[in-house]
Amino acid sequence: MTHKISRRNVLAGGAALLSMSALAPAFAQEARLRVLWWGSQARADRTNKVNQLFQEQNAGVAINGEFLGWSDYWPRLATQVAGRNAPDIIQMDYRYIVEYARRGALAPLDDYLGSVLKVEDFDQVQIKGGSVEGKLYGISLGANSAAMMVNAAAFEEAGIELPTPSTTWDEMARIGAEITKAGKRKGFYGLSDGSAVEPLFENWLRQRGKALFTADGKIAYDANDAAEWFAMWQKMREDKACVPPDIQALDQYNVETSPLSLGKAAASFAHSNQFVAYQGINKDKLALRSHPLIGKDAKGGHYRKPSMFFSVSAQTKDPELGAKYVNFFVKDPKAAEILGVERGVPESAAVREKLASTLDELGRAMLDYVSGLGALAGDLPPPPPSGAGEAEFALRNVAEQVGFGQLDAKQGGETLVNEVSQILARG
Amino acid sequence: MQDTAVAVGTGASSRPAAQGRLARIWASHGAGYMFLLPWLIGFFGLTLGPAIASLYLSFTNFDLIRAPEWIGTANYARIATADPKFAAAVKVTFLYVVLSVPFKLAFALLVAILLDRGVRGLTVYRAIFYLPSLLGGSVAIAVLWRQLFAGDGLINSLLAQFGIEGPSWISHPDYSIWTLVVLSVWQFGSPMIIFLAGLRQIPTDMYEAASLDGASKFRQFYKITLPLLTPVIFFNAVVQTIDAFKAFTPAFIISGGTGGPINSTLFYTLYLYQEAFGNFRMGYASALAWILVLIIGLFTAFSFLTSRYWVHYDD
Repeated sequence: MTHKISRRNVLAGGAALLSMSALAPAFAQEARLRVLWWGSQARADRTNKVNQLFQEQNAGVAINGEFLGWSDYWPRLATQVAGRNAPDIIQMDYRYIVEYARRGALAPLDDYLGSVLKVEDFDQVQIKGGSVEGKLYGISLGANSAAMMVNAAAFEEAGIELPTPSTTWDEMARIGAEITKAGKRKGFYGLSDGSAVEPLFENWLRQRGKALFTADGKIAYDANDAAEWFAMWQKMREDKACVPPDIQALDQYNVETSPLSLGKAAASFAHSNQFVAYQGINKDKLALRSHPLIGKDAKGGHYRKPSMFFSVSAQTKDPELGAKYVNFFVKDPKAAEILGVERGVPESAAVREKLASTLDELGRAMLDYVSGLGALAGDLPPPPPSGAGEAEFALRNVAEQVGFGQLDAKQGGETLVNEVSQILARG
Repeated sequence: MQDTAVAVGTGASSRPAAQGRLARIWASHGAGYMFLLPWLIGFFGLTLGPAIASLYLSFTNFDLIRAPEWIGTANYARIATADPKFAAAVKVTFLYVVLSVPFKLAFALLVAILLDRGVRGLTVYRAIFYLPSLLGGSVAIAVLWRQLFAGDGLINSLLAQFGIEGPSWISHPDYSIWTLVVLSVWQFGSPMIIFLAGLRQIPTDMYEAASLDGASKFRQFYKITLPLLTPVIFFNAVVQTIDAFKAFTPAFIISGGTGGPINSTLFYTLYLYQEAFGNFRMGYASALAWILVLIIGLFTAFSFLTSRYWVHYDD
């Protein structure tokens, strides 16, 4: 008897749950947008505030924001897209936009240009940066460029002038060795070992008139280039201008684990929009500097690139609403004030102008850096081909093999070119 | 058990009887199956179903977004002939298994023997020693390990007291695998509990007789404890070997997902994960997963085949 009653109870409970879930949509808003991005807590706070603002101005729209760290972000996005459960608004990176657009995961936005998306005052090169095979798939959330984060306080202690836009690699190597030799801090070196930092390698290649990838997705440098790169860093390692390899290998290539943030080196290599985050976790005063030059007259190593995009999912129910949200994010003056330059320098000329007067010192330094690159900046390279992520891993792996002395620079150059060519051929 | 045997024996002759048999099985085991239902749903829905799907996917090119495309055995052919990272991952994983399992079992056995000597407050010690096994697989512990074995971590601070300047253990290709082995050995709790139970099963009169004959403690261990414990050792070895092949979290956290430096912590599962979710090759990753199933299966079968030469079951 008891058995029967409990079973009935269970059934009743289940029915109640079912009816409740059936009721839920009746209470729901008319439209719901899920927004997914990667980044720090500071970014989440800003983004959530803007989402709140959008909801206030658009009755009947509910926005659900989720955020993750960079390395967790991509597996999560891939599984959600595969499970037909993609977020409506996807923060997208220059490295992945081709992969996602080609696979039909993103909605083309061309139809909304001029109507919902008013990006006429954007830098047109940056608009093109969000295009794949002639269609627009991503709206840039800000421009940035590769940059050197420098611990100004440590330079001052060692009595050494900060590098300038015309500092060469030879000079930088000497400066690095001098800081190490000054020995003002324990276990402290001049530079991070940047041999595995792809944007830095790319910058160096571009100054030589080469690139990472060609427009048709092939490798754009040869074994000699790579060997020379590894040899340059090998020399710095020997001169103690940069950190030893086991310290460098602690670097997971994010703000928190870079040798600069760990207090092991006076300079690390990153992207300009990360300056806010770097200064946030470093007590010493930092400075933002361009990458060293291969010779006094070298130029064109840097480029302004979209730091990240907002893309609209191909699975979204209402792509127009998605486009409207993206437009709000990049154009609304109040939103711009909240967001600042945390995602890079805004692309809209109007927004940029309005923002300039409200920026704090950090934001201004970043704005000045990106807009003041001048001849140091060249054209935006084509979006990286599929396999680019793996190619970056390969660079890191080979750079470590050279760093730990398993390969010499020449073998390293050959191995790298071999591996990257194979990866790109596989796609 | 006996009830079933009777029911099967009597009811196999005719149809109505067969129906009656079903009814009788239901009557006697229905409640049991109902209790099993959550597990059965889980097994078919979450284990067997996905496993069969992954077997299919292993013969396809699947990037997670577009529909899978049938490519026959191309994935397996690539694994066998043209994938240097596969070879690297297998090497690291075998090294890990070969190092971590024996050390862990030896350590677990040592602690179990010490505890078996009738320590006061045994249950408390047992709980404390078991704790790392509960925590060990977690992300928090892997993060802690990073702190311990980093360049200026606790281990090097201790070494510095003796004037030794240690490298950054977790980020040096020669040592990083050892930090993972130590982490594994530290989680000796569950084999220890099983050893402890096994030690309790050994009749004390054997030791008494041996002492009367003048056998030393070491000889007693070698001639009595070890042989009688072999079934437990065998069980622990198989379970721990399978676990070690499947290890993922520590390498993932400690290397930041890269398996570095220089692939020195590239566990098989980590490589599989990179291929699936980093490089969007779900089909290839599925093939890798089935190869791992095969490797573990072969290892386990080998253990069972050799077991009759060294495992003594007390009949």
